[in-house]
Amino acid sequence: MAWRLGVDIGGTFIDFCAMDEATGELTTLKVLTTPEEPGREVMQGLERLQAGHCLSPETLAAFVHGTTVGINTVIQRKGAELALLTTKGFEDVIELARLRMPEVYSLFCSRAEPLVPRDRVFSARGRILSDGSEAEPLNLDDVRAAARAAEAAGAHGIIIALLHAWRNPAHEQAAEAAIREAAPGLFVFGSAAIWPVIREYERTTTAILNGYVHPRIDTYLARLEEALAARGVPALPMITKSNGGIMAASLGRTACVGMLLSGTASGVMGAAFLARQAGVANALTLDIGGTSADVALVIDGAPQFGTGEMIGEFPLHIPSVSVSSIGDGGGSIAWVDGFGVLKVGPESAGSTPGPACYGRGGDRPTITDAMAVCGYLGHTPLAYSAVGLDRARADAVVGRLAEQLGLGLEQTAEAIIDVAISSMFAEVNKLVARHGVDPRDFALMPFGGAGPMLGCLLASELGMTRVMIPRRPGVVSALGGLIADVKNDFVRTLFLDLDEEGLPALRAALADLTARGKAWLRDEQRFVGDAAISLSAEMRYHGQSFELDVPLQPAWMQDGDMAAMRDAFHARHEAVYAFADPAAPVQLVNLRLVIAGATPPPVFPPEPLAADTATPERMVEVFHAGARRAMPLYLRAALRHGHRFMGPAVVAQEDATSCIPEGFSAWVDAFGNIQLEAV
Amino acid sequence: MDKVTLEIFANHARAAAENMAYTLYRTAHSTFVKETEDFTVQITDPDGNVVAVPMDLGATWYPGLYYGRAIRMIDDYAPGDIGFTNDPYSGFLATHAPDLHMWKPIFHESEIVAYATGHIHNTDMGGAVPASLSRSLTEIHQEGIRFPPMKMYREGVLNDELLRVMLLNVRKPEQNLGDLKAFTGALHTGERRVRAMIAKFGIARFRQGLTGLLDYAEHQAREVLRSIPDGDYSFADYCDEDSVGGNPARLVLTLRIRGPEAILDFTGTDPQLTSALNVPTGNDPRHTLLLVGVYYVLYSLNPQILLNAGLTRPFTCIVPEGTVLNPGFPAAVGMRSLTCGRLRSLIFGAFGMAAPARMPAAPAGSSSIVNVMTTDNRTRQSVLAAINPIVGGAGGSPDRDGTNGSGADAAYLKNTPIEITETEVPVRILRYGLMPDSGGAGRWRGGLGTAMDFQVFAPNSRVTARNRDRCRFRPWGILGGMPGKPSDFVLNPGTPRERVLGNTDIVAMDPGDVLHIHSPGGGGRGSPLEREPERVLRDVQRGYVTAASAEAEYGVAIRHGALDEAATQALRARLRLGESTAHFRFGPEREAFEAIWPPDAYAEMTAILAALPVHWRFFVKTRLFEALREPAQGEGAARLRASFEVLRRATPGLG
Repeated sequence: MAWRLGVDIGGTFIDFCAMDEATGELTTLKVLTTPEEPGREVMQGLERLQAGHCLSPETLAAFVHGTTVGINTVIQRKGAELALLTTKGFEDVIELARLRMPEVYSLFCSRAEPLVPRDRVFSARGRILSDGSEAEPLNLDDVRAAARAAEAAGAHGIIIALLHAWRNPAHEQAAEAAIREAAPGLFVFGSAAIWPVIREYERTTTAILNGYVHPRIDTYLARLEEALAARGVPALPMITKSNGGIMAASLGRTACVGMLLSGTASGVMGAAFLARQAGVANALTLDIGGTSADVALVIDGAPQFGTGEMIGEFPLHIPSVSVSSIGDGGGSIAWVDGFGVLKVGPESAGSTPGPACYGRGGDRPTITDAMAVCGYLGHTPLAYSAVGLDRARADAVVGRLAEQLGLGLEQTAEAIIDVAISSMFAEVNKLVARHGVDPRDFALMPFGGAGPMLGCLLASELGMTRVMIPRRPGVVSALGGLIADVKNDFVRTLFLDLDEEGLPALRAALADLTARGKAWLRDEQRFVGDAAISLSAEMRYHGQSFELDVPLQPAWMQDGDMAAMRDAFHARHEAVYAFADPAAPVQLVNLRLVIAGATPPPVFPPEPLAADTATPERMVEVFHAGARRAMPLYLRAALRHGHRFMGPAVVAQEDATSCIPEGFSAWVDAFGNIQLEAV
Repeated sequence: MDKVTLEIFANHARAAAENMAYTLYRTAHSTFVKETEDFTVQITDPDGNVVAVPMDLGATWYPGLYYGRAIRMIDDYAPGDIGFTNDPYSGFLATHAPDLHMWKPIFHESEIVAYATGHIHNTDMGGAVPASLSRSLTEIHQEGIRFPPMKMYREGVLNDELLRVMLLNVRKPEQNLGDLKAFTGALHTGERRVRAMIAKFGIARFRQGLTGLLDYAEHQAREVLRSIPDGDYSFADYCDEDSVGGNPARLVLTLRIRGPEAILDFTGTDPQLTSALNVPTGNDPRHTLLLVGVYYVLYSLNPQILLNAGLTRPFTCIVPEGTVLNPGFPAAVGMRSLTCGRLRSLIFGAFGMAAPARMPAAPAGSSSIVNVMTTDNRTRQSVLAAINPIVGGAGGSPDRDGTNGSGADAAYLKNTPIEITETEVPVRILRYGLMPDSGGAGRWRGGLGTAMDFQVFAPNSRVTARNRDRCRFRPWGILGGMPGKPSDFVLNPGTPRERVLGNTDIVAMDPGDVLHIHSPGGGGRGSPLEREPERVLRDVQRGYVTAASAEAEYGVAIRHGALDEAATQALRARLRLGESTAHFRFGPEREAFEAIWPPDAYAEMTAILAALPVHWRFFVKTRLFEALREPAQGEGAARLRASFEVLRRATPGLG
């Protein structure tokens, strides 16, 4: 029996989602992460799948992995000792960044400490101009001196990022050759080779991120490949990418920057797939784990993409699935300030020590503890029995806050939840305002370990009337890997006025990107099958300083129909910014191409309608809407297509607990999703 | 309202303001709004006190803005009305003519329960110069067309005639119109969000919530004040020039902290100026422009603080009329942002005396916005573009160095990528980076300033650099820290054609000319002789400090890239002998200036000027500065009086 396996590592748990290729049947599993030995959990999981579910490594047809090793390397600052080579006069490019800081009211505000310290930033004379011409030849003596100095300073690798390499990378390439000769021990990445876009800070930072995580990812993936081979796994391991696609793990060892948002992106891909399957066009996905809470928009079945997603403190400028952080998840700590006001976050108990009720050393009240006090949690084993639930500890820590507030224990717990929800509301609100969409046109899709616990409450706050809780909320990211396409992005900055004069350059760039895309898919990924190419261009009105990504049809370029391209931009501008200026000249900044080799879509046969009705497992006592009350507890495994019930109710399953407040009606669809509607 | 619901209410109020901000930002047309984020939005209570502001977007000046005076200058309101003004002298809401403020009353059962409010900085409002702003302007009438509070919309219908008058008088009507539409959309959004809040919380609790949030912020501000020792803290700071090529302008503050309250007494501040550097505050003891520095102090000392008008309640400002901080009509006010920079450092200095353990040294305090107008030799078209803000670093902090390159009260500015500038504008940037040695030496070094060099290739290229200051009077150091290095502006540096431009803000360039500009650095904190030699060595390795300065200012000897400990000890022992124990270190320029103008002489002049009619003050000040050019030798006040007598007798009409 052939099967596919998606594996996703989060902050607290590693999730496994195994799919039988013939029947579409899913088997899921969670294992606690072992941060000190990343990768060991994968082997543990494989063993348990074999022992408990008779899934043999030898019949594993696809192995798709999402990992946080890259992003954690950045957050924990455990990456490579790097040097940077810049154009002379611009050595401070990463320290100055784009100047603006997040906390604009604080006299003590600061930018992130750069990943390359200033004493390992070197520069070379030589200058390319914005049109690609050479104003001054590259001084190779400067380059060689920099390479030797970098080595002497203990650097393992060097990033080359020279001005206008987006237009002409000749100096970067010459510098790379000279460095390889002068200091063969250094690994080298050039900024234009990583992602050749205009804007020196953004391009430099993206290249630095790639180099910074490169040694750890390289080691990690090499070990993983070895271990899988040793177990006789025939499948070539694939990893999930920030762009929602997948690529061969062997490629990820150097193209590291493409997998920094691996897990978060595949969560949105998985959620979008589930939404489409259930016939939900617009969804607001809500992924809450122990240490993070992220939202993303799915519009007409498609995730949204953007650049500038944050990796720790640094923006990543390659196209990624747009995900916004709205808090720190179930581990956010509740406290009372000097005015007696109840606050939740920004401090988080994280995965270690975690919530008090997990009994792993946490001694401050978190959102998860509040849920335990209210009685939502602990009715069935949590997280496949990976953690226990100690209700007494939750009572103790929440009780301390109750004293400070002068409220009852359970009132305090509910207040913590209400405050946390209102803060998530404020953050989601920014996202929808930025996109100019109305949340009431969307269904909320909560997933992750804590998403279904808080999802309905947040939906009510946002005025959303529809909520869809997937069948396996805990493993949506792992599932996302299983359905993802082999996919890569290519870009060429053109910076031309969108008129007839620009057409030859546009056509040449298109031919080049197409050739590179096909070579990537067929030669590097060894993909055989249908390739889909999508084109877009980042455009703007003359004088604007930011671009809009506009999908393009290849025929427009072949026919030289510049008017069609301009019209597409005007229409997009109108849609996003509520105005267009059809008389204004349009600039095309970046031409982009995405190539995708389709993964055969999994078959999930719809479940036939059940003949019976939903039967609660038992009644449980929960504190809800200001009072303790009995409500039905349903076991997710027992819910069948067509079952209906009303809130308030609790639905328990191994990877998540769903809280369904009063005022929602629930029915189970043919794919096992709980579809909720506010009544 | 209970304290749990209050936090929930606070989140909803912030969300409403942020929704407005994103709507405005998303749909605005002009660079001022899109790039500089020179706009604000608020939700106010029915009296016009700001209750909620966004935290991510927009300018930082107006969490304590009071709309009430302007609101009441219109007699009655109906649902769908939107009031507006841009006149700095009607209601003291707008603070210079390019700023257009609007307010939309939100009704509940025929009663106004809140306003959605805000401002946008228009690229141009007409008047004598493009962009409506220049130091050289001398009366408000030169600074553009002005509208007293009146209705832009009546019951949802645009006041079209009025709009036509506005658009006829401005240089970029399409931009003003585009931003106005976006702004109106943001006010509608605010109203919608407030209605949703009323639906959620109920009208009674909505009212309680507004009051509760103001009380909450007030409480937090009072807590901060309580944590600072009672006392009177007097401080003065200077703008380099009070007009083009003029004399210094002195700002004076006595901060009187008494438990949970404080008085900010600005008596002693210079008379109003015959230039556009005046700050219009309309006798309002809590005018937001006077308190911007206070918001920074409060937020820095308690980052959890809620930003709204409640913060202003514990503070009372005393600002004599006819002074630069409370000018009388028709004083010009367009460039008040330069003076406001000094006003903030004045406040930071006074709070620094009151809470020395918790406050940083002076931030660089001058952000020059560099614009170039030149011709593209290829297309032969004229190009006008903003290149970069040249911003300085933050002051040395209690436990770390000041942030380099920008920070403190200039953290909201963004730069433009060199690659974008060079692609769009026919200039070549030769350097853009940190200015070595510019940060004030100290136990904690001041943040470095930024430097930029660029070249033009067409005749008649013109560069403007608004807000030039701190070329002369340095950002002060504290507790033994040295001041940051001053700013400078030089044409063709290091060539026979070199011209030092100082605070000049407009310069013409020929093809091939190179212009250098660097900002000041932040002041240092604590004695530089206390800074760990390893840290100094690292600064040298990083290029932040030169080896020569390491030796001269820090007493750290570095030989062949390594510390020479014996030489360092000897150097430091010698330098310690001459160390000053003064709280502030101002640098040689201010010391030389105060030798001519000791505090008693300056106070005497201020008293004389204050007794004169407003229209005489700037004239007399200028003449007195012409008369006194030598150090005072211990009789400053008497000498000043004598000079004034000479002037009085020689000047018909002065009486």
